[in-house]
Amino acid sequence: MEKDLTTITSVAHVGGAFVCDNRGDVIVSSDPAVLATVTMNTIGREVGRAFVALDAAHAPALRLDFSYDRWRLLAQDIGEAVLFVVCQPEADMSIVRMSADVVVAGWRKDASAQKRLQRASIERKALVKSSSLDQGSMHSWSIIESAR
Amino acid sequence: MAEALTGNLAQLPLVDLLKMLIAGGQTGRLHLSSGLDSGEVFLHQGVIVHAEADTAWGENAFIRMVGWPAGPFRFEPHVPAPDRTIEKPLEILLAEASRFAGEREAIRRIIPSANVSVRMARVAPGPSVTLDAADWELLAALGPETTVEDIGAEFGWDEFDAMKRVSRLKLAGLVELGNTVSAAQPVQVARALAGPQFFKALTTAVAGALGPLAEIIIDDTVEDLGFTRANFPRDMVASLAERISAEIKDAEKRTRFQQTMLAMLRPQAA
Repeated sequence: MEKDLTTITSVAHVGGAFVCDNRGDVIVSSDPAVLATVTMNTIGREVGRAFVALDAAHAPALRLDFSYDRWRLLAQDIGEAVLFVVCQPEADMSIVRMSADVVVAGWRKDASAQKRLQRASIERKALVKSSSLDQGSMHSWSIIESAR
Repeated sequence: MAEALTGNLAQLPLVDLLKMLIAGGQTGRLHLSSGLDSGEVFLHQGVIVHAEADTAWGENAFIRMVGWPAGPFRFEPHVPAPDRTIEKPLEILLAEASRFAGEREAIRRIIPSANVSVRMARVAPGPSVTLDAADWELLAALGPETTVEDIGAEFGWDEFDAMKRVSRLKLAGLVELGNTVSAAQPVQVARALAGPQFFKALTTAVAGALGPLAEIIIDDTVEDLGFTRANFPRDMVASLAERISAEIKDAEKRTRFQQTMLAMLRPQAA
């Protein structure tokens, strides 16, 4: 899987890529690690929650594209985990997204990648348990849930 | 007819390939492509005699192709050159390509991007300033948000020429650089076109995934993006490929199509 990530990181203006399981733990990251582990954990967890929330709000998404002044973050839901790609604003996102699609399609057919993903597979719903949410997030989650 | 020699520049760089053909005293046509660009180098009895790449000819075309990092090549022996535009040996051509690359790098250090805006310096560089006519005309063309790219479009220069001229004025203290103008801001510039060669390759790839409806799907998607094949810009081809890939329901065919398109587009984006 590490080698597959280089397919994405070799795209112009891509800084790195990593995969987090549904708890936010990093399964694989490009070398050198694109961000500090704790940052990747946090991003993984929060984006995992965003996918659950969108699903609960009847607006399921397979991909989220966060655009900031100085960087962009592509998050691609692969079910057992989330693939993240960190880019500069100049990156051609169509090429980045298609490269991510090709890599994910390869993982689906790769037994060892599947084994790693399954081993790390953790129910995403655990991310929105009251014990794992702060008060503000819990309040937001209750609003989404009440509208279901 | 002798068999063609084929391969990829990623495995056999152009310089090594040419050395091999020259050493063998070959005559023929070497067709190269990299992303959306393509070109040809002609040899006659082991001597490079002609090159063309898009609109460039001769040494300029050769220098452009030397920088291509990857892409398929095909050498067809015994194909005669249509013209003689190169008189220098390979070593001299490579030295010029290297000098050109160095010059390009030096200019890039002064003008980081063609999207940077240029304005006349507020303070004159000295008590008196002497300008030639070309510099005068360039300075007169500067507006509040004129970019280097705009200047190139205005005077019919390519990006490198425009950057070179502006960098000279910058070093002379006659202009200052402003902000980089983002794509979101309206900029009136001529955009490079995808061209018929791209659409031919795209049609083959789409037909492989979606069958005989390929032409219709391409035309519809091009139209959805607000263009025609004739005016479709090169910087939108990845977006077009992505949209078409979304039409391919069969996952395996979609992945194969995406791989084909990425092989074509990534050298371009690099």
